[in-house]
Amino acid sequence: MTISHHPGDETLHKFAVGLLTPGLRIVVAVHLEGCVRCRHWIGDLEILGGMLLAEMPPTPMAPDALARILARLDEKDHPVGLARQRSLEGLALPKALEACAISPWRWFGPGMHWSRVRLPWAPDANVVLFRIGASRRMPVHRHTGLELTQVLTGSFSDQFGEFKAGDLEEADGQIEHQPVVDSVRTCICLAAVEGRIHPRGAIATVVQRVIGL
Amino acid sequence: MPTAEALVELVEAVACRRDKQAFAILYRSYAPRLKTWLMRRGLGEGPAEDLVQETMVAVWRKASYYRPERAGVTTWIFRIARNHSIDYLRRASNAPSSNESQEEPIETMATGEAFVMGVEREHLMRLALEKLSPEQSRTIRLSFFEDKPHREIAEELGLPLGTVKSRIRMALTRLRLLLQDEQ
Repeated sequence: MTISHHPGDETLHKFAVGLLTPGLRIVVAVHLEGCVRCRHWIGDLEILGGMLLAEMPPTPMAPDALARILARLDEKDHPVGLARQRSLEGLALPKALEACAISPWRWFGPGMHWSRVRLPWAPDANVVLFRIGASRRMPVHRHTGLELTQVLTGSFSDQFGEFKAGDLEEADGQIEHQPVVDSVRTCICLAAVEGRIHPRGAIATVVQRVIGL
Repeated sequence: MPTAEALVELVEAVACRRDKQAFAILYRSYAPRLKTWLMRRGLGEGPAEDLVQETMVAVWRKASYYRPERAGVTTWIFRIARNHSIDYLRRASNAPSSNESQEEPIETMATGEAFVMGVEREHLMRLALEKLSPEQSRTIRLSFFEDKPHREIAEELGLPLGTVKSRIRMALTRLRLLLQDEQ
């Protein structure tokens, strides 16, 4: 898999430092599963983070802090009841999504389906899967914040290029675009937005109302 | 701070023998530094202590998942602390949904891998860092550990906001290139 579109440097840096909101974070995590280049860079930034942590001047902890921690070590670790969903109607889900609650596909227009991805640790995050038929056009839209779209299967194009499986498109609040799926295959992608989507035109408004982004 | 090799042995002692003395050494090495980091990220002393406590308990519980060939101990603990801080800050800012929220599974975020031995990679990173200009090095430190809006960093450095953003970007790009040269 040749990946030609990656998250921007600022996004990767925010991921490594822990400043990306949970919705955007999981899309980047899915990208990392398939992208050696970004994985190496995040790995390097984490090494840097660790080194800078080790350089921090110490601030004394409360005198009884260690005793309190030691007292907790023998507590039983109550395992978190994570849903382990591995596929959605034949689509093998990326590992990063396994702990998420994923709704069945829902129709929102001819050849277009979507599914809500709920993050148990961040119920408010706006994350969705889209399944768009060959040659279909997504409604034109703009967003107030960052939108990340990771292609899982198939491909789509917009004015910024062609995005194939493994690619991630990063679109900021300035961008207005209308992705078009290639003519051969259905495209499935994972998307997260920060802020709200501004649809343009009647269809897009309906879509927004249905999906609730 | 114990040496990198000694730290690996300490985590292995915690993983294999549930060794509380080894754990206490890890605690003394990391807890006070984690506390400084969290306070610089804007947490008060109480919440910072709580979060250090959560992180250290996670170190105890997850010790058996640690793989020395993937990452140095410090990198591993940085990741645990970072993931816990995301969860903690989110809960703090988002109180209504906190009772139903769960911890983000840390394993999905384990992004380092055995492309170069963790310790060796740390050495390369150190070499690359030394080649940055003092200003680039300072910019990177600020961007990493002070969870301030870039606006505040801009004030601290006496620079316009756009300049700070592009300086962070340039410093990181330089670092990336330097690391490629070191390989």
